[in-house]
Amino acid sequence: MSVHAQVWHLRVIALARASPTGAVGLAIMLGFALVALLAPLIAPYDPVKPFTDHVLVEPDARFLLGTDGNGMDVLSRTLHGARYAYGIAIPVLLFGFLIGVPIGLYAGFRGGWFDEITLRVMDALRVFPSIILALAIVSATGQSLANVVLVIGMLDVPVFARLVRAEVLALRSSGFVEAAINAGNPTWRIVLVHLFPNCIRGAMAQMPIRMAWAVRVSATLAFIGVGIQAPTPEWGAMIRQGAEYMVSGEWWVAIVPGFALVILIIGFSMFGDGLEELLDPRRNTSSR
Amino acid sequence: MLAIVQLILRRLMLALPILFGVLLFTFMLVRLGDSDPVGMLAGPTASEAEIAAIRATYKLDQPLLAQFLEYARRVAHGDLGTSWLSNRPVLTELLQRLPATLELVLVGSALGGFLGVWSGMRAARSVNGRFDQLSRLLSLFGFGMPTIFLGLALIFVFFFVLRWAPPPMGRIDLMITAPPVITGSYLVDALLARDLEAAWSAAGRMVLPCSVVAIVFAAPMLKQTRAIALDVRASDYVRYARTAGLPHPMIERIVWRNSAVPIITYGATELTALFGAASVLELIFSWGGVSQFGLTAILKADFAVVQGYVLMMSAIAMLVFALSDLLVLKLEPRAHEAGR
Repeated sequence: MSVHAQVWHLRVIALARASPTGAVGLAIMLGFALVALLAPLIAPYDPVKPFTDHVLVEPDARFLLGTDGNGMDVLSRTLHGARYAYGIAIPVLLFGFLIGVPIGLYAGFRGGWFDEITLRVMDALRVFPSIILALAIVSATGQSLANVVLVIGMLDVPVFARLVRAEVLALRSSGFVEAAINAGNPTWRIVLVHLFPNCIRGAMAQMPIRMAWAVRVSATLAFIGVGIQAPTPEWGAMIRQGAEYMVSGEWWVAIVPGFALVILIIGFSMFGDGLEELLDPRRNTSSR
Repeated sequence: MLAIVQLILRRLMLALPILFGVLLFTFMLVRLGDSDPVGMLAGPTASEAEIAAIRATYKLDQPLLAQFLEYARRVAHGDLGTSWLSNRPVLTELLQRLPATLELVLVGSALGGFLGVWSGMRAARSVNGRFDQLSRLLSLFGFGMPTIFLGLALIFVFFFVLRWAPPPMGRIDLMITAPPVITGSYLVDALLARDLEAAWSAAGRMVLPCSVVAIVFAAPMLKQTRAIALDVRASDYVRYARTAGLPHPMIERIVWRNSAVPIITYGATELTALFGAASVLELIFSWGGVSQFGLTAILKADFAVVQGYVLMMSAIAMLVFALSDLLVLKLEPRAHEAGR
């Protein structure tokens, strides 16, 4: 085992000790990531292949988790759904982070009109319920997967910008930044080298929570039927398909993808809680 | 008293530009999109001339700026336009359905808020105690459950399997005459009319959807309350109160008093988000409130309704923020000076 692998190994143990919740969350996240990567190999059937004479079959030996209203295998579809969950959550996160963090850094450091406008826009965005906003924009600008990602990512921008901006404001007048300024460093160097590494902690800790949010919002959009349509093996779209069978007894069509969705979101949240504990230990040890 | 008047005035001054921004934003949004309601309205067999006539009727042939100014002028006079689907005034349609949504969100959030804040305060009293761990586990599930799935799962368990809950279709049994409209809430109206059968039916229909709202609201409230109360407990003044030997109930009172303000501020933000969650929930339970109406309008590209709905939601959100500010001012007069 190389040195790197050993250090990594020790880190995982340290994480598990410091925060069992976070470790369980990480395990769930990695498990689903593995499923997403291997879905074509481990799924028993093609997720969009209809077995027309096996519609709404109860879970049995052939279809382990039953079939849906089109006669498609629910297990295969649920496994493939993990690809959509990660396929949406990761680009959404990157979009929000890569655009939100620079905005927050610049707004916090520069202040002035740029900061003022950023604040106003972020305030105005807070007024809308995000689901409604996402729904309105996606259905107005064209319904495609790329658009769903773009819109949800856009809604993530103010979250990261706000977090980073607050940290920059707190650090701007601290000793090391002042020293860097007085030593004659150019602005870009102060922002990138001195402020950036010290200001992204909060944003990093929020990442899993934002992923959970992205998965939830995209599933809700698909459930409503915006952006992602029916035969696509995406969990929200599958739950929509199964919703009508919920009152007639064919529970597996909606419950199976629903559970996958819930477990992955809980995994993200647990990992997020763990990160928060590790990055901000004050929270947990205070007031015994 | 003067402080309160000042606050309300300042709020209004701030609200107007935001509402104007919202107006402009939704106006541009629904027009930049590629959905064309004229085509839907005219039908597939309409001739060019017919389409042009419809465009002229709705003034869609004029430049965007002229359209917007006309729209803003009308909104200022309380005219939100006409729904292209039902051909009725948007404001009437929205106001008629608002009570159903308010009923759902307010009852649900009152339950959820009480539950979340109470258990959050209690959990913070003994970190990592049994109650703390249990409530953290439960709030994790509350967080994880998307509204859509929570609603469906409750319907499956309580309607299909256990047969305890009434069918998730509407706000009152089809066989029962709805009470005369006074407030718009079936439960309140039925009680006012002393129609116990209708009241019972309406209350029964509210149980499941309100529980979903309560759970969705309680989870983040619990987590945030716990964090806030922990910070307060670690503060110097609480430590001082403890060393000074104040009795327990008194210390708890100090902790509660000092936690209340940030809890209310946070709760206001979460409450506005509930109106978004309510739209999907109303869809699942065929609730027929304003949020479901807005959702359907978005899907069917009913421009005037979408604009009116978003405007109404923003106004409600601002109202919620303003009320929470008033409450904070009442609890903490210092906040006013700090807020400037």
